[in-house]
Amino acid sequence: MLLPTLIRLENLAVFTSLRSSAYIYPIVLTLHLSAISLFGAMIVATDLRLLGWVLPDCSIPAVIQQLRWPKRIGFLVAATFGFLLFACKAEEYYYNAFFRTKILLFLLIAMHAAIFRRVYTNSRDSGSASHPSPLQKTAAWLSLVLWLAVLCAGRGIGYIPGRAGMHYS
Amino acid sequence: MAIENPLGTSPLAFPVLECFHIAGFALAIGMSTLADFRLLGLGLRKQSPEQIAREFRWWTLGGLIIAVFSGLLLFSTDPDMYYTNWSFLIKMVCLALAVTFHYTIRRKAVSKKISPSAGRWVACVSMALWLAVIFGGIFIAVVRPGLT
Repeated sequence: MLLPTLIRLENLAVFTSLRSSAYIYPIVLTLHLSAISLFGAMIVATDLRLLGWVLPDCSIPAVIQQLRWPKRIGFLVAATFGFLLFACKAEEYYYNAFFRTKILLFLLIAMHAAIFRRVYTNSRDSGSASHPSPLQKTAAWLSLVLWLAVLCAGRGIGYIPGRAGMHYS
Repeated sequence: MAIENPLGTSPLAFPVLECFHIAGFALAIGMSTLADFRLLGLGLRKQSPEQIAREFRWWTLGGLIIAVFSGLLLFSTDPDMYYTNWSFLIKMVCLALAVTFHYTIRRKAVSKKISPSAGRWVACVSMALWLAVIFGGIFIAVVRPGLT
């Protein structure tokens, strides 16, 4: 069910031409990395504030609230370019151990977001506005480790050579 | 006498170094861009551009150091290829420009020594230079095997 859908996806005209283009593919990759850089910095900035290492004059909720929408947009942009990269080699990625790891890590990140939701939405639930609670520090460390793992898994995808017998049209 | 690069003996060395390289530049460029965004009136608007640049300057520098040192090691695995790769050469020129710009004009711009409209231009130039560095890096693998 999933695999035939992926094969149909990668053989859409737009993804076939993206796959075979010498320059558009690396341009999409560059934009993916640039978006990651910016989005990643906003995540790291939030986590550093939760650890109490930066912006001591700005309360934790203020930092989180100010970066909420920029982070959402940044994620959307990075994910859109990421989807383009995935879609033109969807079948290959399906078998790719690093891609599977990356998806698993995203699930863990979604769980992290669900579990620590209140830590991020309302810091008054845990700790004061300026000084991080142990819960906030835990959330920040886990977030940093998970996103770093996503980055490494992402780089790993390119190191697994494609298999023979892909259904590229 | 041929000296073998120890990095060439392990197939894991290059990918692991690349992870450090990506994490380093993502940190450096992203952190620098936080202040650029602020110059454009976006992001951490409750802080001044100067405050953002000051708070994150060691993180920017730390990321830059990780990226440069891992980059030197990556370079050492195949210096001839890099030296003759025009994308790599463009990347190095853009990197030199970006770093110089960051520690001269951008530094002045965040500390309000220029007008807000000029500050917006500075932010755009700063981001464009860093973007060019990433472009140059990705295209190293595209334009191989260098000059013919």
